[in-house]
Amino acid sequence: MLEVRDLEVAFGPVAPLSGVSFSLAKGETLGIVGESGSGKSLTAMSVMGLLPLSGGRITAGSIVFDGQELTTLAEPAYRKLRGARLGLITQNPMTSLDPLQKIGPQVDDVAVLHLGMTGSEARARTIDILGTLRIPEPQLICDRYPHQMSGGMKQRIVIAMALAADPDVLVADEPTTALDVTVQAQIIRLLDDLVKERDLALVLITHDMSVVAQTCDKVVVMYAGRAIEHGPVEAIFDAPQHPYTQALIGCIPKGLSDDEHLTGIPGTVPTVLNYPTGCPFHPRCLRAEDVCSTDRPAFVQHGQSAAACHFAGAAP
Amino acid sequence: MTNKLEVRNFSKQFTSPGGPFRKARAMHAVNDVSFDLPAGRVIGVVGESGCGKSTLARLILRLIEPSTGSLKFDGDDLRAKTPTQMRKLRADMQMVFQDPYSAIDPRYTIARAVMEPFEVQGRKPQGTAVEEIDALLTMVGLNPGLAGSFPHQISGGQKQRVGIARALALRPSLLVLDEPTASLDVSVQAQIISLLEQLRDDLGLTYLFISHDLSLVRYFCDEILVMYLGRVVEALPDTDLPARHPYTATLMDSTFAPDPKLRRVITSLEGEVPSPFNLPPGCAFADRCPGATAVCRTETPILSALDGHPVACHHPL
Repeated sequence: MLEVRDLEVAFGPVAPLSGVSFSLAKGETLGIVGESGSGKSLTAMSVMGLLPLSGGRITAGSIVFDGQELTTLAEPAYRKLRGARLGLITQNPMTSLDPLQKIGPQVDDVAVLHLGMTGSEARARTIDILGTLRIPEPQLICDRYPHQMSGGMKQRIVIAMALAADPDVLVADEPTTALDVTVQAQIIRLLDDLVKERDLALVLITHDMSVVAQTCDKVVVMYAGRAIEHGPVEAIFDAPQHPYTQALIGCIPKGLSDDEHLTGIPGTVPTVLNYPTGCPFHPRCLRAEDVCSTDRPAFVQHGQSAAACHFAGAAP
Repeated sequence: MTNKLEVRNFSKQFTSPGGPFRKARAMHAVNDVSFDLPAGRVIGVVGESGCGKSTLARLILRLIEPSTGSLKFDGDDLRAKTPTQMRKLRADMQMVFQDPYSAIDPRYTIARAVMEPFEVQGRKPQGTAVEEIDALLTMVGLNPGLAGSFPHQISGGQKQRVGIARALALRPSLLVLDEPTASLDVSVQAQIISLLEQLRDDLGLTYLFISHDLSLVRYFCDEILVMYLGRVVEALPDTDLPARHPYTATLMDSTFAPDPKLRRVITSLEGEVPSPFNLPPGCAFADRCPGATAVCRTETPILSALDGHPVACHHPL
């Protein structure tokens, strides 16, 4: 459904993103995971064709959606896809909704614009979608303003807008980060059900490895604008090859063992202006040797997953 | 073991004054909360947004006054203290805030930020200011070379370390940590938690740790108080114990393990936390509880201990 190959993005002279590849079929959930500043959201924006808004452009690589190349697509054609066949859920539902407009019309607009429906057809569809998202009393909700709703409810409305035109691919950029844990669980379950019921392809962007473990089929781990490990979720968690992946998993408390000790990852993610040479993770890596600071590691296949590390698969 | 803190029947009611178009309303942000915090222990307070966790933190430092209840710190009745006495005492009880971005004055250098507590208290550090700054920054794992930087030049994790250094400047014995890692990346969160563990061991600190993340609280704390709409609904004396309150069980079900083999069927809790204004009688959780019966809607359950594991539920699990 969606295939991204060697994507590279530049803002003027700097290239914050390079060498990102993944593919995704219908009914699959792909997790893109990494710390803030690793290029996850930029990847999402590239797929959605929203880079020009912030002054970026794709300088290499390809994004193929349902057989169609998107990197060379002109904006009018992109507009027809975006919202219709490619849906986006952003991190902050508070800023994704127009505070001055009632909920009903905001969701209706999607069907009017993309499916050519009349206002009353679109409203019937909106109420139907709000119902499938388990929003109580959809008719009443349509007449509310965003400020009258809780964060979890607003995030459901944003999901409803993303689904209104029945997209094939849904890109969810940290959809639960701003929410309470019980609401996060509700939203994750909702997304899971949608993938199964509608045969959606879901790209889930998150920094939380436990969310990935719960929902995803495949995983791409990103660091400093590059994919550094990818594979099926079981392989990534059973035998993470890259030290960064191992460290990310180690940041989540597993629970009941008293011997458990969290260490975190020393240091911080480099900014785009000082991406390290060689392996981008080497300044923070406990296993780094001289070669790591000079040579960029290539992907090494290991079972079903692959990692870009000179010492991939070595015991941690 | 002596108690660092003894909190008894703490309540805080906020009122919203009426106007031409609306009636006056009252809400109980914190309702009849009692607990002991033994010296050297870490108690976690967990609950969703709006459950009164942060209000409780502010009440304990007397940044706001409780409507009713008593509070002892090292056996001393805090509510009898005058503002001047209270100000002196606060040197011994400090707070680390959730948002390191707004907790530090952007115009202050890091050095000035960590020395500000001495200014406020009108005290001098033991050694010279430079020595003190070096010692504090080293204590929280920051390079003393950062002393001349401004907050905008350092990362979020480093800022939270500065927030902790400020809180430690006057060598307090109690730290109230109000969601100290909520705005940080998981990798940085783990660093900060590991720093807090080490500081507790090195300095013999007592912590009240407030968080919405139950798995983090279970990892970090010795005991857990679970709050829902201003009340403590369960007090787990040991973090390994299974939940007895259906709300705690839901919170535990809502956290995921970092292992796809432990993937769970999410039994999602319907509905959301109700408005704290004009609560209906009975258990505040009744409307969302799968096991609620008629008695839950009429009588408020009281926190009662069974085998030293208090729970406020008519039908504990």
